[in-house]
Amino acid sequence: MTKDKMSFQATAGTAGLFAVAAALRLLLFTAFPGLPSLLTGRVEISTPVTSFKRLQEGLFLYNHNVSPYDGGVYHQAPLLLPLFSLLPDPSTYPIFTYILYTLVDLLSANALYKIAESGEGGASRLYSSPRKEKRWSGYVVATLFLFNPFTIATCIGRPTSVFTTCAILHAVAKALSGNIFTSMLCLSFATYLSMYPLLLLPPMVTLAYDRTYNSKAPKSLAQLAVMCTLAVSASLALLFISSYALTGSWEFMSSTYGIQLTLTDLTPNAGLWWYFFTEMFDSFRSFFLGVFWLHLSSYTPALTIRLRQQPLAVITLLLGIFAIFKPYPSIADTSLFLSLVPCFRHVFPLLRYSFVTASVVLYGTFLGPAFYHLWIYAGSGNANFFYAITLVWSLGLSLLVSDLAFAVLRDEWEVERPEMRGKEIRQI
Amino acid sequence: MPNVQSFSTLRARSYVFRLPLFTRLMVLAIVVLWLVGIQSAWDLRKWGALIPNEMNFFTAYRMNTFPLIHLNLLHALLNLLALTPLLERFESEYGTLTSAAMFFGPLTTIPAVVYVILERVIFRVNTPVMGASMWVFLLLSVEAMRTYKINPYFVIGTVQVPTWTTPLVMAFVTAALIPSTSFLGHLCGIGTGYLFGLGYLKFIAPPEKILRWIEGKLNLLRRLPHYVSVDQKTYGRFGVLPSSSSSASALFVGRSPKLQKAPPYISLLLIVVGVAWLFMLPLNDYSRRTYISENALLPGQVHTYFGGSDQNVLRAYRHEVGALENKTNTEINDKLEHMFRSMGLKVGRQNYTYTTSGNTVAGENVYAILQAPRGDATEAIVLIAAWRNVKGEFNRNGLAVALALTRYFKRWSLWSKDIILVVPPDSRAGTQAWVDAYHDSHDSRRVADLPIKSGALQGALALDYPQEERFEGVHIVYDGVNGQLPNLDLINSVTNIAGGQMGMGASIQHLFHHSDQYRDRLACMLRGMVNQGLGHAVGPHSSFIPYHVDAVTIQPVGQGWHDEMGLGRLVEGTFRSLNNLLEHLHQSFFFYLLMQKERFVSIGTYLPSAMLIAANFTITAIALWVKTGYAPEKPADTTTKDGKEDAKEKKEGIDAKTKVEQKKKPEETPVTVERELYLPLSLVTGCQFLGFVPLFVFNHAPASLLAPLFVVVTLLSLALPHALSFFLVTTYKPTHQQYQLITSFFLLLLGMFLSTLATLNFSLAFLVGLLATPLTFVRPFPQLPAARYAYSALLGLLNPGVVVLGAAAVATTSLLNGGSGLGVGPWEAVQKVLEEGAFGWSVWGMYTPLIFWCVWFPAWLVGSVVVLG
Repeated sequence: MTKDKMSFQATAGTAGLFAVAAALRLLLFTAFPGLPSLLTGRVEISTPVTSFKRLQEGLFLYNHNVSPYDGGVYHQAPLLLPLFSLLPDPSTYPIFTYILYTLVDLLSANALYKIAESGEGGASRLYSSPRKEKRWSGYVVATLFLFNPFTIATCIGRPTSVFTTCAILHAVAKALSGNIFTSMLCLSFATYLSMYPLLLLPPMVTLAYDRTYNSKAPKSLAQLAVMCTLAVSASLALLFISSYALTGSWEFMSSTYGIQLTLTDLTPNAGLWWYFFTEMFDSFRSFFLGVFWLHLSSYTPALTIRLRQQPLAVITLLLGIFAIFKPYPSIADTSLFLSLVPCFRHVFPLLRYSFVTASVVLYGTFLGPAFYHLWIYAGSGNANFFYAITLVWSLGLSLLVSDLAFAVLRDEWEVERPEMRGKEIRQI
Repeated sequence: MPNVQSFSTLRARSYVFRLPLFTRLMVLAIVVLWLVGIQSAWDLRKWGALIPNEMNFFTAYRMNTFPLIHLNLLHALLNLLALTPLLERFESEYGTLTSAAMFFGPLTTIPAVVYVILERVIFRVNTPVMGASMWVFLLLSVEAMRTYKINPYFVIGTVQVPTWTTPLVMAFVTAALIPSTSFLGHLCGIGTGYLFGLGYLKFIAPPEKILRWIEGKLNLLRRLPHYVSVDQKTYGRFGVLPSSSSSASALFVGRSPKLQKAPPYISLLLIVVGVAWLFMLPLNDYSRRTYISENALLPGQVHTYFGGSDQNVLRAYRHEVGALENKTNTEINDKLEHMFRSMGLKVGRQNYTYTTSGNTVAGENVYAILQAPRGDATEAIVLIAAWRNVKGEFNRNGLAVALALTRYFKRWSLWSKDIILVVPPDSRAGTQAWVDAYHDSHDSRRVADLPIKSGALQGALALDYPQEERFEGVHIVYDGVNGQLPNLDLINSVTNIAGGQMGMGASIQHLFHHSDQYRDRLACMLRGMVNQGLGHAVGPHSSFIPYHVDAVTIQPVGQGWHDEMGLGRLVEGTFRSLNNLLEHLHQSFFFYLLMQKERFVSIGTYLPSAMLIAANFTITAIALWVKTGYAPEKPADTTTKDGKEDAKEKKEGIDAKTKVEQKKKPEETPVTVERELYLPLSLVTGCQFLGFVPLFVFNHAPASLLAPLFVVVTLLSLALPHALSFFLVTTYKPTHQQYQLITSFFLLLLGMFLSTLATLNFSLAFLVGLLATPLTFVRPFPQLPAARYAYSALLGLLNPGVVVLGAAAVATTSLLNGGSGLGVGPWEAVQKVLEEGAFGWSVWGMYTPLIFWCVWFPAWLVGSVVVLG
């Protein structure tokens, strides 16, 4: 806590920014009392594994000494329950929840500020971009995060994914500042809450390794990897045991992570899985679950090896890929990905499809709710309408991910081939 | 490998223009023969196909004709696409003469003979074949053999696969994927191709000496355009290799000045086509007759029994209702409750209080539920008889008919759905409060809960019968809030029963004497579109439609011989139809435009017109974005261009100013520049949010202030672009590129909003799009002050506020509103419109004001700023 305070002091310039962001959120919360519950119900924001409404349900059961996982509605981590049961009841005193979520956003922004200020995006230990002078300060990056409409909508919709976002950003920030164990602890928290952040472990290890590298007494990467893995396992084990102590059974494992692994809840969301598995014959289900998860996890080793020189780029790209391909994605994941993209301001001139991407994402943002309305409320459309838009949305995001990957690689390539700078190249 | 990114229209064009002679002739022959094959007098296919059993000496011509004849357009098109590049390669390598000799000789006849022999002797079947696919596979396998010599294997995992197998694989895939392809025919082609590729068929090639001699004698190279000499092959396959490629990211438009100029014309074309499309719709060829899609409805198939002594009951009710005319809401409801209870119905009452524009609209609904004798209270039909209709007239007869009908319905044992009779005190707020509360989506501070409920609402019918006399026909009002419409089957049923069974006329959109000619159809459609676009409630039924409850209002109109009992029988017939339903109405259309009671167009036919108009904004936006990425005036980097042709093309389409520069440095291409995004983004975002200010003001201002405020805001909004432009120019001095970016962004947003809106409310999207079309062509006019002020005056005329004021002035003087005018002055009309907007916003959830202030207004504002820049 003292450390946080110090960093708050050190970044006195951001105090105004944070105050404005907090004021905007609290204003939206209080000036439009219908807005939080409206956004909480939106499938683009709340997924079965992050929904605030489901959290309420779990909380109710928990407070009445019933297992929160009874009834199959609550699929979130058990340790969230004591946290929220400490707060006054959200239906009578919602302001405390609002303040909590606003604070979490500010904490994320603070971590992001540190990430951007570290300059890791443009210059890592092994690689220094020729364009690294062109970068945005932490102030700008934090502003872009805090005033991103997706972030604001997420904050007001109050899904529990904001905690994961915060934990991941802090894991990155701590790895950058060399606090390996704090970083691993943050990553364990993120994993505990949402499971998929575990896939960020390899790039996080390389990032931590690069940032703590001491040329006089070099440690081996393997050694650090083992240490990090042990740290993560230990802290996860601790979290699981305390969850067990809290709920009295291991049921939470299957109800939280099991749901993500087997996709038993097919509530529509912004991702690609639900429609696919709605249409699937049962006999193929397990096979395709395996394929989808394998696909999702295959990016981690590939990107970590290929972009070994730029671990932060790996983390950013992976977060983008998760926002598209994970089982229950929402715009919270998109806003996390988009928050890290500005750290790569130096490769923006190399992006080829920025306009197309922006238009596609914008179209998806507007057409998604419209088609959902046509399907669910007006009854004049059907599920294919909404699914088509989630495809467009995913297309927009994957364009951004691939374009960013291209730009990062092109930037590396131009170091090898300086004579090609500024020339157009073609992929073959 | 070619991929989408490397596709460039320029290269494609020059490729097509450089196709060699023989390839061209073959393509032409295939197209011509396909065209000949369209007629039915002479069966070309039977004449020319390779039919094994019909092969003899006199029909040997088939061996040469079959590749040129195709089954249908798709077949021809696909084969052409596959054949052209392959044939072009072959010809540019071997020369035109050789190709002609080979393809009219051995390369066609050998596979044909092999095929015929196989079919007749070995398989003893008779499958006719035609089409150029045999050539395609032949050429493919020649290529594959050549590849095999250089690059014998490709590796899948650890397995080495010889490259010559690729045509075989393709033949298998083709046979598996595309129906009715001749696998055997393809195999013959592949076999011949392999032999040719391996060089075993060299001997059949015409001797080079003779070809050279012919070529030289006839001077073919001079005479024939696109002729490829026999000597060509000495230069290798490609001749001179093409140098650097054109842009990957230019998005087709970036590099070609000709194409850069096209988007405004494309946009204009889209607008014209979009509008023309709309005017085509009333024609017979584009609209359809309505039909009953849901078979369970069976409209007009039951005998209706409402009559006889029920007429006395009805008179009595009319008397009682008449006596209540000047009582208070509570007194009326007490009396009605008493009546309902005496019929043996369950009764509920509900209070509501809405506040809009400083006025309070309060009242109490009363409703009664007739429990279905044969149902389980899971479904219900609603009959609405508001105390006063939308115009505020006392609905004496409507209520009397509804009461008599309810009493009559109670006697029947055939209802399988509950019937709910709702009597709201007014037609605008009361039904909304009731239906909101029925679906538990009400704000309980303003609207009370319903004490009793029934099942899911399957349909609703509202009666609006204030006139005292007998009537001629019924007028069906069907528009819902926000332009949503009831299922077309409901309207069809009512029309069908009224016209077919009762012999009354039915009319829609206040066109009581519809001639079913183009003019009337168009008028009917346009009135429907205006109602849909405004999105307000036009009757008590409108509030039901957003809840997916199909509903219409029936208004008796005209002077005729039908009495109240006829209306009652119409309702009875419709209720009997609805009672038949096994599931919610879903079969027929939800998106349609009616142009007569029995003629409609569905969404697939009319949506393109709004989408085209929305697309025109998007196209200009994209074009402007691409344009801003290049700085054609001061190129700094040089890259070599391919070939003379491209350079020539560049010169052709360039305007005089840049032409001078191009002459100086003809080899230069536009250079990518970085875009300065901050100013455009913040201006567009700022203006977008500025729209919320008037939205808030007009939804909360008291009614008496609305009209003066509106005039003030309109005047302010007319002055705002000038002020904003002055501020921008003096403070930031935006560059031309920034203006283009501003235009691009606001047009992109506008296009996006409108295409989203078109899926929800077609008419609103179309109307706003149409009024915003001049915004597509905005640009700063730094040198032409006259053009600048002319254009900004034009935009001033299309200012959202000015349009509303103008429409109000026109509406009060002309015949827009049902042929009667509004009966008020323009000032009151404006106030009425604004009150309706505020009322709709807070009661009905109508989003028209939002579109007006947050889509149209910001776009207009930014567009005007750009013009003044």
